[in-house]
Amino acid sequence: MMKDVKINSYQFLVLVTLFTIGSSILLVPSGLAQNAKQDAWIAAIFGTGIGLLIIWLFCTIAQWFPHLTFIEINNKLFGKWIGTIFSLLFVSISFLYTSTLLAHSGTFLNIHMLPSTPMVALNILMGMIIVMGVRLGLETIARSAEILIVVFFFLFLILVVFISPEIKFENIQPVYEAGTKKIIQSSLNFVVYSSVNAVILLMIFPAFINRTKQGKKSFLIGNLIGGIVIIIITFLCVAVLGAENTTRQIYPGYELAKRINVGDFVQRIEALMATLWIIALYFKVTLYFYASVLGIAQILNLKDYRPLTIPLGMITIALSLVIYPNVIYQKNWDSTTLVSYSLLIGLFLPLLLVVIYALRKNQFKKEA
Amino acid sequence: MLKCIGILLIAATILWIEVPPLLEKKYKKELLVFAILLAIAVGLSSITLGFGKSIPTPLDLLTFVFKPLNDVIAHLLK
Repeated sequence: MMKDVKINSYQFLVLVTLFTIGSSILLVPSGLAQNAKQDAWIAAIFGTGIGLLIIWLFCTIAQWFPHLTFIEINNKLFGKWIGTIFSLLFVSISFLYTSTLLAHSGTFLNIHMLPSTPMVALNILMGMIIVMGVRLGLETIARSAEILIVVFFFLFLILVVFISPEIKFENIQPVYEAGTKKIIQSSLNFVVYSSVNAVILLMIFPAFINRTKQGKKSFLIGNLIGGIVIIIITFLCVAVLGAENTTRQIYPGYELAKRINVGDFVQRIEALMATLWIIALYFKVTLYFYASVLGIAQILNLKDYRPLTIPLGMITIALSLVIYPNVIYQKNWDSTTLVSYSLLIGLFLPLLLVVIYALRKNQFKKEA
Repeated sequence: MLKCIGILLIAATILWIEVPPLLEKKYKKELLVFAILLAIAVGLSSITLGFGKSIPTPLDLLTFVFKPLNDVIAHLLK
């Protein structure tokens, strides 16, 4: 029941692109500008480059086991018990990040658009469509992504074209003042958000793609496209708002959309632009949630993951209300523990997989 | 109190939708996992929403566990 789902490589590319853009489009520019100041856009370029290397690592792992999900790879390489422990860690990351992103979407809508609506109502609305998407299955998610990415890039193009008259090149000068070391340091957060967290895509990549080889290509290209979108947004933020202002905003991308003013006629279209982040955020949360639900079902050896979606969705919504007590806590947590937590599961665990595979290679060759 | 009743009503609706197909297919393990998760869900949401009590965030635990690694990364980035 779980295995006969297949999506093609183009749909996977769209999903990877939206996953990479996801929450980064809202949160990353201010993080990048914090240390690198006006060189934030260079930091984004570095971040995309490092991110592609990490994605390449994931692809290599996926190619060795073209029919297994990450949970099954864990079980096969580490044996049943140790594998289950690692799988539980993996599920914990995707489950917690579902809640944090839900909290992000609730906070964003609550601050900027619906200030008198209680946050729980917004979270329930978002949570309901996420549960709906996951219940309908991966194919449905992929097809809706295929449609919505057109809307996404149309709006993105409007944003870029309309904001370009406001660019002040004084804001990004002097170029490369921060120095290589500082730029690489500040790109760390972006790498973690967009590329290291893409480890959860290993739940769909080798197992549910009809052609593994093309899937590898679309994983890399999707990440690259997402990275370019983030580079453009970061550049625009720094060039229009200035480095100081970008750092101070919680959502610099939204502030950017507020500045649009074409001939005193087209202005204040930020609510329309918020569609951008809602689309990207929705697919990111859905993929996280899909990975956690499918992960739990596979750890417990269940035949179907669908019965788990509604209870887990309820837990996610309840958690999303308490997970960040306030914005300061969120900023602090995102720049410290989130980084080590993601690095542990998204980078060290795959590296450990590579080492173990290299040691046990002959054994697997015999089996195959 | 009213909110708690609401949450219980929602849980009852979920049970009503989900359980018959599972019984029909004789998925016993799925039913057990489903029941446990739903119980946790109802418990959590009635604490946070129904009674308005706040539970400590799970992120505090993670911060406690990852403190050494955080320090190492902060040291490397200096």
